[in-house]
Amino acid sequence: MVNEANLMEISAYSPFWLIVVFYLLSGIWEVGRLLRPEGFSKQWADRLPFMAFALHSLFLLYLASRVENIPVTNLFESVVFLTWCVVAVFNGVEYLYGVPSLGAFLFPLVTVLGFWVLSLGDNLLGTPSNLSKFWLIAHTIPLFMGYAALTLTFVLSLMYLTQQRQLKHKFFGPLLLGLPSLESLDRLMWKTLSFGFPLLTLGLVFGIFWVKYSNILGPQWYMDPKVVMGTVTWLVYAALLHLRIGVTMHGSRVAMLNIAGFTLVLFTFLGTFFLGAQHGYKKVSKEDTMIIKGIKE
Amino acid sequence: MNILVVGLNHKSASVEIREQLAFSPSRVTEALDRFCRCFPSSEVVILSTCNRVELYACSPKTSSEFTEEAIFDFLAGFHGIEKARFRENMYVYQDLEAVNHLFFVASSLDSMVLGESQIVGQVKEAYATACSQGATGKVFHQLFQQALNAAKEVHTHSKIAQGKVSISSVAVEFAERIFQDFSDKTVFIIGAGEMAELVLKSLVEQGVRAVMVSNRSYDRAVALANECGGKAVRFDSLEEELAKADIVISSTAAPHYVLHPEHIKGAMQRRKGTPMFLIDIAVPRDINPEVGKIENVYLYNIDDLQGVVSQNVEERTREVEKCRAMVEEEVEEFMAWMEEMKIVPAIARLRHHFHHVGKEELERLRPKLGNLSEEYWQEVVYTMERTLNKLLHRPLEVGKEEAKNGGGYRYVETIKKLFGIGHHQDSSP
Repeated sequence: MVNEANLMEISAYSPFWLIVVFYLLSGIWEVGRLLRPEGFSKQWADRLPFMAFALHSLFLLYLASRVENIPVTNLFESVVFLTWCVVAVFNGVEYLYGVPSLGAFLFPLVTVLGFWVLSLGDNLLGTPSNLSKFWLIAHTIPLFMGYAALTLTFVLSLMYLTQQRQLKHKFFGPLLLGLPSLESLDRLMWKTLSFGFPLLTLGLVFGIFWVKYSNILGPQWYMDPKVVMGTVTWLVYAALLHLRIGVTMHGSRVAMLNIAGFTLVLFTFLGTFFLGAQHGYKKVSKEDTMIIKGIKE
Repeated sequence: MNILVVGLNHKSASVEIREQLAFSPSRVTEALDRFCRCFPSSEVVILSTCNRVELYACSPKTSSEFTEEAIFDFLAGFHGIEKARFRENMYVYQDLEAVNHLFFVASSLDSMVLGESQIVGQVKEAYATACSQGATGKVFHQLFQQALNAAKEVHTHSKIAQGKVSISSVAVEFAERIFQDFSDKTVFIIGAGEMAELVLKSLVEQGVRAVMVSNRSYDRAVALANECGGKAVRFDSLEEELAKADIVISSTAAPHYVLHPEHIKGAMQRRKGTPMFLIDIAVPRDINPEVGKIENVYLYNIDDLQGVVSQNVEERTREVEKCRAMVEEEVEEFMAWMEEMKIVPAIARLRHHFHHVGKEELERLRPKLGNLSEEYWQEVVYTMERTLNKLLHRPLEVGKEEAKNGGGYRYVETIKKLFGIGHHQDSSP
């Protein structure tokens, strides 16, 4: 039996359309500012992301109040929550370090994620209703924040490789002048990674405790694709950190490894849904829908 | 008033002639003094930079000795060279053209490097020196302040001063995209040369503290290292030291490559991927271009940097038309002010004429009123003055308006005819 709240009416999605459109506009504006600074005012470059994030936060609160839990009870909610975490970490990084043009790379990514989950329509995946609230919070919040930080690492790596390309090919233009220096990108990659990795670890550790404690994934829990992929992701980032600390590796290789790590994150988070993985979610069948509708009637 | 500029610049004269006519700062004051003695009642400013020597002067229209020939004679006399030697290199502009020229010069539209910012400071300095010598008056105060204003307008509202246009600043621009903080970076200079020193200087301005110098001749390296506060490195140990360098500037006179991929690969292994920025200023090149393909190595040669310089120069050139329009607006404003100045004496005379007539009439009236108390008499005087001022108000306003539209002269003549205020010898301020 799936959580009744998972069966959201399509109308519950519609506010998110507006939010994603705001992120799209933010992305367009930021990219415009990067490529043609005189054509796009700073005022709107500040306003659009602010409005998008404010609406996003309100929508998240609404979703949370609806399920009376953290809003990760279905794939749609999870993506809304994850993108919110990403933009929140982005805001933190902007506030602390003021990275030029970061938004130009980040907002398009958020937009794509948003449109993707909206395009799934009512192809719903839901969590069982009997999950422990405590473990759900302990497991998902660190993981989501960790994913968000690693998303930032990924975006910074893309910026690093872009800037490196400009420098290697001697393209002296607005892109070269608009992007931060390689050194500062390298430092920030390191900072977001060392923020994200402990959170990732914490989330995984809580996950292990949870699965041991409540047996929700069955006795063969370690064979669950999401558990396997999560572990692989964790190992990749652990190796990366080791290389960065121990061997002190800088530059383009770190950037490329970050990108590889992030594709694993994406796969762990989203890809495993399509492997028919049960982890936390299950596909909502027509029967379930009928039952719930029957109850309602 | 007659505004005149006599001068030469990098376009009209070679450096041999420019240096003969240049005024050192101490001689400028002397020249200003002497000029004011030769041409009393004139205003003068001397602008002398490495690219131009210009003498701006202005005097009442009537002073007949104030001609370009006279100024040539003055320059020849002051520098002790024959007039014929520099005559054909000189340009002379008068009035509107002279004003235009100064505004163009101050806005750096006439500079060798379009949009450079030094010239504004130099014009300011020349004007300040003339002021302190008492060589300027009402006209030049207005003229130079407006010229400096035009320069400011042009620099803030156009892209004329954007984009780096020197090899060294472009090199720094690239370095800034690789490194964030320069204070912990090491610059390694191989060979020596003016350009290398310029690049080093710009990097030091960015905060670079550690400098290493290497040269074929160790003594020369030591001398250079002492000059820039760096450390001399023997040419043989170049390879070992290379790993410490974040930025390498190479400008040896060697006919072959000095740095090869294997040198840099070795250094990069020790640097563990920390980026290295190499600038090859030498011709023929010092660094094998294959080096540029190594990971995390960024190699730029003189053509790469020059290419960016040309691109930026082109962009500045595209802004010239826009700047010209801005400058012309300022010039017009100044010319309007000049026109207004033309009618000032006429207006003063008109006012004087009215009040003179009033005073005469009052004097005639006073005995007729007998023993009128002083208090009442003051009332009468006051009423008369008020009436006259009211009558004068409109002609004054119209005069200013006419002057702005270039009708100042006609206005002055009309006023003279209407009120018979006579022909004074000078109608200008």
